[in-house]
Amino acid sequence: MDLQSMKFAKSAVVAVIAAMSGNALADGGFGNLNFSGFLRFESAYKLGGDENPFNQGGNLFNGVAVERSGGIPPSEVGLFNDVETRQVAETDNDFNLMYVRGRLDLGYKISSNFNLIGSVRAIFDPVIYDEFNPRQVDSQACCNFYQEPNYFEYAIEGGGRANPMEWAGRDYMVDIPTLYVDYQNGPLLIRAGNQQIAWGQALFFRVLDVPNGLDFRRHSILDFASEEYSDKRVPALGLRVSYQLSESWELDSFAQKFQSTIYSNANTPYNVIASQFTVRDYYDDYSDKINYGARIRGSIGDFGVQAIYAYRYNPDGVFRWTKSDVNRGLPGELPNVIPGLTDNLGNILQGVVDLLGGSIPATGAILAQTPFEVDPTGVHSAEEWFTYAAMARLDAREGLNASIEDFPATALLLAQPVDSDEAARRELDLFFQLSGGLRGHIERQYFRERVFGLGTSYVVLGEPGSFLDQLIINLEATYVPDRKFTNITLGQKFIEHDEWTTALVMEKYHRFTQAFPATYFVFQYMHKSESDIFGRHLSGFGATPEESISTTGGIDHGSNYLVLAFQQPFPSLVWRADFAALYDAEGGLLLQPAVRWKPNGNFTVEAFYNYIDTVSGNPNSNALSSAEWADELALRVSYQF
Amino acid sequence: MHIRRYDGGYSRRHFLGQMLRGVLATGVLMPLYKAMAASGDITKAYPDELLSLDAYTHGKIKSGDLITADNVDLVADLMEPAKLYQVRKLGRQLKVVPTTTDVMRLSPWEYLEATFRNKGRARFDARGNVVNDDGKPWIGGSPFPDPQSALEVFAGQTMSWGRHDASLYAFKEYDLDPDGSLAYRYEGAWAELSPIARVSMDPKPYWPGHEDKLRYQSIVFTAPNDFLGTSYLNIWDYDQNTFPELYGYIPAFKRIRQFPTDQRFEPLVPGGSLYLSDAWAAGDPLHTWGNYTIVGRGPLLAGISGGWNPGHPNWEHSTHGGKDGQMFWDTEVELVPETIIVDAEPVKFPRAPVAKKRVWFDARTLLPVAMVSYDRRGDVFRSFDGAYGLYEAGEKSVMDGAHPYWSWGHVHAFDVQTGRMTRLEQVKEVSGGHQMLVNNPDTYERYLTKNALTRLARS
Repeated sequence: MDLQSMKFAKSAVVAVIAAMSGNALADGGFGNLNFSGFLRFESAYKLGGDENPFNQGGNLFNGVAVERSGGIPPSEVGLFNDVETRQVAETDNDFNLMYVRGRLDLGYKISSNFNLIGSVRAIFDPVIYDEFNPRQVDSQACCNFYQEPNYFEYAIEGGGRANPMEWAGRDYMVDIPTLYVDYQNGPLLIRAGNQQIAWGQALFFRVLDVPNGLDFRRHSILDFASEEYSDKRVPALGLRVSYQLSESWELDSFAQKFQSTIYSNANTPYNVIASQFTVRDYYDDYSDKINYGARIRGSIGDFGVQAIYAYRYNPDGVFRWTKSDVNRGLPGELPNVIPGLTDNLGNILQGVVDLLGGSIPATGAILAQTPFEVDPTGVHSAEEWFTYAAMARLDAREGLNASIEDFPATALLLAQPVDSDEAARRELDLFFQLSGGLRGHIERQYFRERVFGLGTSYVVLGEPGSFLDQLIINLEATYVPDRKFTNITLGQKFIEHDEWTTALVMEKYHRFTQAFPATYFVFQYMHKSESDIFGRHLSGFGATPEESISTTGGIDHGSNYLVLAFQQPFPSLVWRADFAALYDAEGGLLLQPAVRWKPNGNFTVEAFYNYIDTVSGNPNSNALSSAEWADELALRVSYQF
Repeated sequence: MHIRRYDGGYSRRHFLGQMLRGVLATGVLMPLYKAMAASGDITKAYPDELLSLDAYTHGKIKSGDLITADNVDLVADLMEPAKLYQVRKLGRQLKVVPTTTDVMRLSPWEYLEATFRNKGRARFDARGNVVNDDGKPWIGGSPFPDPQSALEVFAGQTMSWGRHDASLYAFKEYDLDPDGSLAYRYEGAWAELSPIARVSMDPKPYWPGHEDKLRYQSIVFTAPNDFLGTSYLNIWDYDQNTFPELYGYIPAFKRIRQFPTDQRFEPLVPGGSLYLSDAWAAGDPLHTWGNYTIVGRGPLLAGISGGWNPGHPNWEHSTHGGKDGQMFWDTEVELVPETIIVDAEPVKFPRAPVAKKRVWFDARTLLPVAMVSYDRRGDVFRSFDGAYGLYEAGEKSVMDGAHPYWSWGHVHAFDVQTGRMTRLEQVKEVSGGHQMLVNNPDTYERYLTKNALTRLARS
């Protein structure tokens, strides 16, 4: 979208919301048409000094002098020693997030059987952040959004928009998260259009909640916990058919356009993919695919039961090395970025290039056939490679080997597989010395899977007022045969394994005093047999900057998570205190205390604090440390109309 | 013409004497039930002083007059304490209308007809549930129209809230700060359906396959935006010793989830003063409360007619009082000749902020006309008073089958201790196109199943 179009879109959204809000305040609707909405200011103020390490501006090696020792592959002997300092300027942000959001909900009663429901969501980010500046290091990094940060557009290979109901630019997005027609006839309900579908009793733990992926662009997983994923689930065009078989049994089914999970872009506040990677998302090859699913839910005696089946593309996708297709040679007339290398390595590489009948710049053609791109925003040292591989839950050594073995062109650069961390370091340092920084290109692909799920619930009846009385217990489980995971080497062959996900959910209201309304408690436990809460395979968990996962070994006993959350409303519900804690049994902890104030019908103020830390063990063994940098106080002020 | 052969204190002495003897026999001059069964009229059961406020006050306040702080002391013993406080201290005004003597105007026609038809057939089973004389669920109407105990008075109200087989009330809620400024507004629809004791809607008296349930009830909010689509479904077991099942759709969760149901003493929405437990003065299963006791008898001023406002196209009501003239509904009250005052305690809610509730039932129909609850210190806590009526005025009417619709029109739920007020009114339609329905079989599929909650939700 060009600048003119962007401006027009922004103006149009503001005008529509303003006009409709004015009308809404007057009468709230026109006959069968009714509408309402809200405007909300959202911010997250940084309380800690850490920047997001997955962004260029927060890279742990910016301005840090690192010793390198390049060697001839596959030797462990270091021959070329130097000290490298990553030149990207460290960013210094006061805010992780600040934007304005508007939403307009519409309903139109067509007849007693038909209803049209729609909503428009618009967000404008004034971009007050201290951003990564690619010109500062003369970056020429290719592809979408690896230059100037883009906060909302979702780039896919082939261009175009991944979601037909969304329009976005660098600092804004407008989408239609809801637009469907309901048809009801007795026990039959047909819903056709763009919609979210959520299943299961578990909160945050997505066990039976399988129909839709998540959108992490809007405050990632660190949004107000009591809203769960309502703003995150990616809606999709589809058809949902529900039938109430009897008072207690209902059948629910859907066929929905496949929409992928959306991760934040590189160098935006909540990005979780190291920005030395360039992601090539091939969603466009799957954009015409359809997901299907069905659920039956009812009760048998005192037990509630449900069963689901989904035949879907896993929206999270899987990643692997891919050709960069970037024809940019090693820098300089000779690949001798370090004095002293000229005579040795330069001559060797010159010989290789001569064999190709070319010259030194022809290394660009070779590199284009490998997953690498020469750029100062890439990795600069073996130490950085090992550190970030551990943080990304990848295998530093075998990741290098996969990039060589799966891409034969690397042999033309004398790259060779290695069998020790030390040899990997020598080889990596050598190429970083030659290149002045290498970016890694990875592609994202999607695969179908079958999800089988079961759930049961039971309401405990105890002494009135006792802690067990009216305790609702839910047990949910899914089984996915042959699920595909990103290989921790980023190799072409994905990890394929059956996965079990199980969750125990207990929730209840308990009134501690007569003076305060009841406290709502939720306790949950989840076990996943193969991956972490975000779907990363556990075999990549446990590496350190010093040792690759090939040396340390990954986690083979599954992942385990605990949630304890409560809501304590105050009398009249004008104030409410919330608390949510998520604990990863490998030592990660996320705490979110919050307070909500609703002084009148129009305004709502919500403030919450996100605290994430590794309280025991290796940070790279728990899932939560990926957001450990985000120590923030969030504030949201809403005006509804 | 009624002969004045009883002095002004006769009825008071009559009620006091019966209380002292522990006798509950409604009617003063003759048994009330007998008078109603004979003619549908109550005038033979009560002396003049109980049939007209004019007579009661010896002409000081008559029909058409306003009761204000200036004259409320004349009728102070005809008001429950919260209403009296509102008139005396907060500027509430009440317009007096004549006493309704035709009992068929005081509840749905079919409900009353079934009440008369089925008198004497109801009893309590071993678990304390009201059953028919054949041991099956109750067959319709008020089960104990000539009650002999406080439990019998309450049982009928718990069994049938709105006295229709199915109702959908489109409602608007206004929550006010103590100074009378409007702080919160909500809109929504409240649905009720009885699978037993049905008197209007086929199949009668039971809906086959649902005889083990007492009630299906749901509420959906259609405004404001942050509550849009919020809905709850209560499924009541026939056994009044168990709590209902509760399912809910909360916009944040985007799905129907089951919720614990035993916490019923919190506002439903921010700013509100209305609890789930307050519904129809009998919002909880009968035996989750206990120690039902008759603590008084006597006349009361209450809004049992004139609750409908046909002058507004959406039946919305006018208000007065408070900073912006919005604190109270404009209410018409009439002298209810006899009320039965019942206390009950929340025995299965050990930490409820309420120690007891006191409910005034119109002796003619056993309709609750006022409620006051008391906190654990014994102080007045909250009050709940409604205005009912036939939806019939001149040539305008809303029909329920062959007869005019009878229902509630508006309600005050008042927190005496904080001064916060919640006003509710039944309107013709609210946003989302939800319109009042009565005895419409579609109510179940459209509002009272989990599938219905999915439709009512926005996702």
